[in-house]
Amino acid sequence: MASESPGRCSKNTLSRAQRAKEDGDNGSTSSSFSSSDYNDDLEPEWLDDIQKNGELFYLELSDGEEEATLAQVTANQCLSTNHVRFSEKEAEVITEQTNTQRRSSRKKGEPALKKLARILGRKRRPSQRKGSKDGSRGKSNSSPPASILKHQPGQRQGMTVHRRRLKEACVYLNPKRLASPPAPLCDRGGLLEALLGVVHRPAWTAGQKDQWEVRTEGRLTVHGLIPNSPAIKCGQILIGDVLLAVDDVDVTSENIERVLSCIPGPTQVKLTLETADLDHRGGPSDSSTVHKMKASPPVSQLVRLLWGEDTAELQMAIGHIPHIVMYLSLKLDSTSLQEEEEILYQYPMSEASSQLKGVRGIFLTLCDMLENVTGGQIISSSVLLGKHLVHVGYWKEHNNLLVVGLPAERVPLLSLQTVVGDVVRTLKVMYGTLDSAFCMVDHAPRLDHFFCLFFQQLIQPWRLREGSPPSPVVSGSLFLDGLPAVRWLTLPPEIKMEVDTVLSDFESSDFGEMSEDFFGLRRLYVILGSCLFYKSYLIANHLPKEDLLDVCLYCQHFCLLPLASEQRLGQLVIWREVFPQQRASGGGSAAPGFTQPKGRHFLLIVGLRHLMQCVLLEAGGCASPALAAPGPDCVYVDQVKATLLQLEALEAGMEERLNVPSAPCLSCADWFLPAATTRDRLDSLASSSPVFSKLAGAIRRSPSGSRGRSLFGERSHKSSPQRSLSDSGSEVQMDVGSAAPGLSPNSTPDSARRHGGRRDSLGSGGSDGSGGSGGLFKTPRMKHPNPFYLGTLKKTLTERETEEMYNTIKLTSGTENTLFHYVLMETVQGIFIAPTHREVAQLSGSIHPQLIRNFHHCCLSIRAAFQQSLPARDRRAADRPQRSGWGLGPVKEHGVLFQCKPENWTDQRKPAPTMTYWVIGRMLLEPVPQEFYVCFHDSVPEVPVEMAFRLSFGLAF
Amino acid sequence: MMMLEDGCIQLLCLTASSGVPLFTRGASKQLPFSVIGSLNGVHMFGGGQGVLLSCCETEGGGKVVWRVFHDSVMLIAVSRGGSSGGCSKEEEIRLQRLLENVWHCMVLVLGQDELVNLRNVERLKRDLRSCFCLIDQLLEEKQQGVLGNLTHCADSLLPPNPTLLQEAVDGFAQAADSEFGCLFVHGRIAVATEKWWRLAPQEVVLLSALVRTLSASGSASCDYPVFLPQGSPTVAHRLLRFQLLPGADVCVLCGPTPSLHRAESELVGQLWSPLVETLRSCLSVGERSLPGSVPLRPDVLALLLINRETRRSVSCVQLSSYHLLSDPSLSKSRCWELLKLFYIFSMSRYFTQEETLCVSAEDGAQGGHTEDFLHGFSHQPQQCYLVTEECKSYGLQTPRHQLFLLMLPSVPTFALRTVATQTLSDIISATAF
Repeated sequence: MASESPGRCSKNTLSRAQRAKEDGDNGSTSSSFSSSDYNDDLEPEWLDDIQKNGELFYLELSDGEEEATLAQVTANQCLSTNHVRFSEKEAEVITEQTNTQRRSSRKKGEPALKKLARILGRKRRPSQRKGSKDGSRGKSNSSPPASILKHQPGQRQGMTVHRRRLKEACVYLNPKRLASPPAPLCDRGGLLEALLGVVHRPAWTAGQKDQWEVRTEGRLTVHGLIPNSPAIKCGQILIGDVLLAVDDVDVTSENIERVLSCIPGPTQVKLTLETADLDHRGGPSDSSTVHKMKASPPVSQLVRLLWGEDTAELQMAIGHIPHIVMYLSLKLDSTSLQEEEEILYQYPMSEASSQLKGVRGIFLTLCDMLENVTGGQIISSSVLLGKHLVHVGYWKEHNNLLVVGLPAERVPLLSLQTVVGDVVRTLKVMYGTLDSAFCMVDHAPRLDHFFCLFFQQLIQPWRLREGSPPSPVVSGSLFLDGLPAVRWLTLPPEIKMEVDTVLSDFESSDFGEMSEDFFGLRRLYVILGSCLFYKSYLIANHLPKEDLLDVCLYCQHFCLLPLASEQRLGQLVIWREVFPQQRASGGGSAAPGFTQPKGRHFLLIVGLRHLMQCVLLEAGGCASPALAAPGPDCVYVDQVKATLLQLEALEAGMEERLNVPSAPCLSCADWFLPAATTRDRLDSLASSSPVFSKLAGAIRRSPSGSRGRSLFGERSHKSSPQRSLSDSGSEVQMDVGSAAPGLSPNSTPDSARRHGGRRDSLGSGGSDGSGGSGGLFKTPRMKHPNPFYLGTLKKTLTERETEEMYNTIKLTSGTENTLFHYVLMETVQGIFIAPTHREVAQLSGSIHPQLIRNFHHCCLSIRAAFQQSLPARDRRAADRPQRSGWGLGPVKEHGVLFQCKPENWTDQRKPAPTMTYWVIGRMLLEPVPQEFYVCFHDSVPEVPVEMAFRLSFGLAF
Repeated sequence: MMMLEDGCIQLLCLTASSGVPLFTRGASKQLPFSVIGSLNGVHMFGGGQGVLLSCCETEGGGKVVWRVFHDSVMLIAVSRGGSSGGCSKEEEIRLQRLLENVWHCMVLVLGQDELVNLRNVERLKRDLRSCFCLIDQLLEEKQQGVLGNLTHCADSLLPPNPTLLQEAVDGFAQAADSEFGCLFVHGRIAVATEKWWRLAPQEVVLLSALVRTLSASGSASCDYPVFLPQGSPTVAHRLLRFQLLPGADVCVLCGPTPSLHRAESELVGQLWSPLVETLRSCLSVGERSLPGSVPLRPDVLALLLINRETRRSVSCVQLSSYHLLSDPSLSKSRCWELLKLFYIFSMSRYFTQEETLCVSAEDGAQGGHTEDFLHGFSHQPQQCYLVTEECKSYGLQTPRHQLFLLMLPSVPTFALRTVATQTLSDIISATAF
């Protein structure tokens, strides 16, 4: 981030060094609680970001690469965090006044928020840590203020020692955003500050003696930059620069407001600046800074979007693609003359969408009229805008109508209803009803942000994720996100049990002397349940299905799951009131005599590194009723954090689970193309796959387990350096100490020892390789638990038998493994399993990714067929009357055979080799409702029911 | 209050520029004028703003589809879902097809000039009445075993001895000074001259529909002026039709000569009377469309085979007592319905439809977008199957053919593919279709 400064950085490093030392000191006692304690002493970082209504979205990133660099520099393994704050309400001006300002604002927020924390404060045990912490804090306060003065890396090469020179900078400005932030900001700095993000204080200029020049009246010297503003993001405007012209119009302090106010809409403007001398900048700190700046990876667009930074650029990129969301009132007051009053909310303001806005009369009329004509509410329309086909989805609630227009090339009609249903449910979870979401004026900026994310994810998801190539098809996310289920990762039973125990401990709210009971108070919240994600996979869930889906929809919408898997979260704290749909509707299945307590519900999401825990809290009912808009309570947040830290000890096991191929082995599509010679195939086996089809090998050679195992051992030997490389800088450096020190030159023996020590002290399962070199060659003894029937199936097999079975697990029949991909959804619990991202990535190949895309696209169609033929039981259909029977009758199974050819087949003489494969979907109602989607090679006829059966019970065990 | 009954389609026709209703067909109860006006109004309003409304879906499978032809005539189809309706996408395709067919039907009868240059609306209204029986036939689809309206492939019947009949048709056409001659048996094309097959597939389908309505009227012969929507939309030809036997009709497209009387008295008797026995054997093929020499597995309920090159199709339902034993609820009409639905299902999602030539460029933009889903596939779909409660369906596509099969639920799923490929090769080898 541009706002990161050397001063700040060194401060962080310092305090971190301290923290690490403490960690080392008390590490042997292995209590992860201790590490959370010093957070209690301090006011947590996120306090500032709590909104007036108590909501909090605090995201702090720690990215592995930067960490690695830092570790290299400081030979110190600890968390480096990149603090960036996201707050719509408060612009943090980074100038001399920063600290005082911040402190004062913190005080303001304090009393309301820290009820319990304050009570606890009295009781807190005295500790040196507090002192040391305060010390470091004091240091941080006294350290030079964070300054963005002339530290832009791009700056240095071009800039030389000229005393003054002109430069040009292009920035995106979006006046529309101005409507949203609170007005007071504009009072002081006017548009210059609000729109551009440049702080100019005429008074200061007057006071300062300018050394180089005779200051002319009205010069626009940059005295400060506002974080997240266009000015700071362009990276070329520095404090001390003088703004001379905007789009070649000369500006002074007199006319600047007028000039800026003439900018009609989101646009790019050229600023001409006079930059000051670069020479007098402090020299010594810089070599490391530059190094750091280079190394620090760009923060992904997704994170910037979540931080609420200006989204104009992203929006502009899709400005030509028509898309819109409108909330329209069906009650038209003809007496009122005000124009466009029926539009209660609208996003975005682009040109293509204004065309759709212009024809809102069509949507209103159709919604009004068609119900009487065809006997049903309108669901969708398709309209043609020039060459773009746009599908418009409708959702009527009371007297208002939500209209969502999406380009057909992104969202096929088949999945439109699911997409609209999901967004409506997400909004209802967040705001209770659509009316309360859209009709409150102050929600507008948040809704803008909400829908910006929504459209970006659908229209250009590749912009949000680093490294993913632009692909016009979003079927994968459409299908998987559209399932009424969450992606589940099966863990080995020991780990699963420990995870569950830790979660249950937390949910019992027995916080010891931190709990309200201790003080004889009524509880603030009852913990209804929680669920735990590891790298975007659900690994434990103690929530009822509907609540789980609500929580998951929220996470999906804000991309929290991919975030936690791609980037390590420094800290994520989200707190907001939610309206779980099942509970809001009164919980249909309640036993007689039982009524749902009328309480308010709050969602607390805390993420640390790769773990993320979502907790659903209830106020009222058993707990004390919540008043007004309570913010997050530090104690609860800290308790979740403590739980996560405790769980981190188990992370090694989870990571190992991710690294090892899962029960049904997969094959790569490319292996089946005749073009690939045997040698290619072997190569790709050796290089790419911990996941090569074991069973193929095992079976072909001999069915005995021992043979298979030795093969397996060899493999893990081979792949371990890879693994350690890929994991470098992240939590578990498995093989660093023992196997491949040469491969990770950055880690000194000391750090390796530290690893070992720390990990041991954490008391983790110990099944991983860090204990000694012997561990490396141990076959990870994976006992794949049945994902769904943990309790009912007792293992009676001897270990040897299990292992043998493991080596021959195969979903498909025949001698060769022909399985490419699968998705199994368990409807009752709302979870699904599919091969992990890593497994898929390891298969590599050129055709395989295509195949998976195709699989997902086809699954959309298959699932649509299932849905249409089913009575409405699905979550989306919950609010709608039952669909009438489908012409073809209930569909049980549906399959499609595809043929693929290698791309760019140049050989004219021979026809391109082809490979055919099936994509089959099967709906099972007995013994438990399941949907099973599978993709396999054409060579062996399969019976999907059997495959599903094998996957969910028997052989896949 | 519902304005439409279950599963029924109402067709509205208005002038595109002024919105004057030309006719409505379909439902027993006509939609109120205000509704017709609004349906037309929203489309016109959108058109003015550069937003072209093409279709709408409501809960329960209701659908509205708009389409403007040649900037002069607006056709709107409103369907109220219900039990027989397909799912949204399927229904939409069916309605789009319907609108296309209705338009071409109007051109066939009235010629394009009269429709495009609207001079006298009242007269046009009167003239359009002559299309009603053809349009009603399209709307009701009551004739079983005719899928051409949907597939845009000529429904054919494969006669047991085609060479004899082919010679007869060629000779008859030549004698009538025409290159376009065709023999219909049970409303399906048995043989036709080479030129007849060169007509646009949609014209062949429409002419077949016209001949069916004409022969249903019971007259022994008739002389009907037709415009060919693609070949000659502005110049009329004469369609001469003669009933040879009940269920067997021969027709030619010709110019001013010969007169109906001359052709009937001189040519028909002379050329066709020697072939009565052959015609009878042809009639006995009946609804099966396939000669008895082609074996069909007993568990096949229905099949539709399309030749993608010649744009001909063969379809049949074989519902024997054997089938009724296993599922007495299955009726013949239900089988046809299922076959149609499965065809639309497969075509809308997986298989490619050859471009029908009759759609002009401007209209193509409106109609062609329905296949957006198909473009999302990175690999080419080849075959598909569907297991439902009533039957198992299998579709497969080769470069030359498309085959859609309904089979008994008792057929094991893994055997479907074998049955389908076997059936395809059986038919092809026996008839060279």
